[in-house]
Amino acid sequence: MNPGYMVEVANVNKVFHTHHFLQRHEESGKRAWYRKKTVRAARNISFGIRKGEIFGLLGPNGAGKTTTVKMISGLVRPTAGAVYVDGMNVDTKRLATLRRIGVVLEGTRTSIWPLTPLENLAYFGNLRDVKGPVLRKRGMELLDLIGLKDKMNVQVRHLSRGQKQKLAICIALISDPPVLLLDEPTTGLDVQSSRSIKDKILEITRELGKCVLVTTHDMNVAQELCDNIGIIADGRLVACKPTHALIDYFSDVTCAFYLDRAADPTPFLGIPGVLSAECNSEDGEYALVLRLIRQEDQRSAALYAIVELLKNSGRLLHGVERRKQTLENVFIQLTSGLPPATGD
Amino acid sequence: MGFFLVLKAELVRTFIIMRRYWFATLTSLVIGYGMLMGLILGFMARRDQVTEMIDNRFGVDPSSATNAALGLIIGSFAFGIIGIFSQGLQNMARSGQLEQLCLSPHGLVTNFLARSLVGSTASILTSSIILFLVAHSVEGRIYADPLPVAALLFLTYVDLIGFGFMLGGLVLLFKQTGQIAVIVRIALLGLAVWASDRVDTGYAVLDALVHILPVTDAAICLKHVLIRNQILLDTGQFVSVFEISSFYYLVLNSLVWTAIGISVFKWMENWSRDKGTLGSY
Ligand SMILES: Nc1ncnc2c1ncn2[C@@H]1O[C@H](COP(=O)(O)OP(=O)(O)O)[C@@H](O)[C@H]1O
Ligand SMILES: [Mg+2]
Repeated sequence: MNPGYMVEVANVNKVFHTHHFLQRHEESGKRAWYRKKTVRAARNISFGIRKGEIFGLLGPNGAGKTTTVKMISGLVRPTAGAVYVDGMNVDTKRLATLRRIGVVLEGTRTSIWPLTPLENLAYFGNLRDVKGPVLRKRGMELLDLIGLKDKMNVQVRHLSRGQKQKLAICIALISDPPVLLLDEPTTGLDVQSSRSIKDKILEITRELGKCVLVTTHDMNVAQELCDNIGIIADGRLVACKPTHALIDYFSDVTCAFYLDRAADPTPFLGIPGVLSAECNSEDGEYALVLRLIRQEDQRSAALYAIVELLKNSGRLLHGVERRKQTLENVFIQLTSGLPPATGD
Repeated sequence: MGFFLVLKAELVRTFIIMRRYWFATLTSLVIGYGMLMGLILGFMARRDQVTEMIDNRFGVDPSSATNAALGLIIGSFAFGIIGIFSQGLQNMARSGQLEQLCLSPHGLVTNFLARSLVGSTASILTSSIILFLVAHSVEGRIYADPLPVAALLFLTYVDLIGFGFMLGGLVLLFKQTGQIAVIVRIALLGLAVWASDRVDTGYAVLDALVHILPVTDAAICLKHVLIRNQILLDTGQFVSVFEISSFYYLVLNSLVWTAIGISVFKWMENWSRDKGTLGSY
């Protein structure tokens, strides 16, 4: 246990067993009366979050993000390993740790719909031992901070998705917990609501000094919000670094050369500075997609060499495109074991 | 301390929803009134028979109107309480509120205790209103010692929650069992209507089983206090509830069921945490 961390996840594993009756097997197509399946939703996950810090857990659907959040909030018990909140083991001191965390799992389903935001805050406040003038004052402050003050007397069922999500964050904060866990806070929201939620999360963390965990499958959300990012795929934490370091780590450049005919990628791999090469057909054109080294002078030399090689092969070059690094590429690289660009 | 705050939160929530959905609240009152009136009027059509039975002053005939009406009310009380733990829990899982309760620092048991206490108080209040309206309509009078009746109702509540917690734990683990619970609820309702002065099925084993189930002895005691006491009223004699064995069965039953129910619930809550189904649908 590291005393510097407000939330610490230490070598956590989670195995789910599911039981299926009368189901067809995916591969063989055979029907069986009963079949047991095992899903490893978390494999040896370890990370820590300090006070005043936003940690992003980034991964595709089914990676194990929600499971991790649920293990921190004690809704799911790890098969092995331990989770500590404020130095206390979540498994053995569950109720005490629950006093220190606010959780938003599926924000739109958190609140009671026939009640107004103010009544919701009163209800959940009472459930967490907040009462009287403190409750009223904090409730108003939170609604003001998040921008729901004009809706405070409207029943939740009449609110939009984004507003419900904001209310859920207020509910999680009503007992002023030092830790805030947000599971996919911007998923399913339009650009504006998503923007506004991101701003509010930043404001809350900086102003109230919370320790925040945000899960997302959106690279941009993680990049804009988080101080540290953990990338999770198939239950494994494949990278865990400060945001800027992670971006550097994966900032090798991908370029696509559009051609009239297919090209054999093998000779391009011989050029120094080319990390990988493949040729795909895209909309009747052929795209030669090359990953290039980050270092600029070497990359420049490589690019000239590529153009030279293409020219000599007699192909028509329709265009050149520099592709943005996407989360998808990062995943493919991280999970396929390809080396990241070695620039420095 | 925390429990009372949770209780207050539940009370306020229930009250606001009852007021906000006043039409549903009102119609459920009207329907309850209508059903009970229909039942009583049906029996009144055969009034002489009923009078004869009451004149008999021996016992409460299981087919008497009051017995059936009271049984129906006690039965729907049981139906409602068990419902909070089964269908109620299932619906809360579906709506997402259960997750919030699972994250409450007071624990699920406290929250459900508060929820069921508020729910049963609300249902006792509405039942009383219906009962008084019905009594007024048929120009009958209801005589009830408020204190013993309240005490018995509370015991009935305690008797039922243990069973409720057990079913609730099952629903936590396997959300679909909420449907099976309907059968259990209907069975309890039937039991409350059927149980009168004594349980006598003719088989000792069956008798024991009926006593072990919650609600049986509660129904017997409540009917005893509400019917027998009235019958003997003009002689100036009350038959004390302490004189019937069912009262002691009820106390024992409540203690045992509550202990079993809450332990089973906690155990299933932990299991559900392992399975990863706690709070989710
Ligand atoms: N209660 C459960 N029982 C069985 N499998 C589960 C359960 N919860 C999650 N899983 C499985 O664990 C994996 C991770 O799920 P989850 O944490 O919800 O992913 P994410 O939130 O990253 O999309 C998925 O394959 C999912 O099917
Ligand atoms: Mg998820």
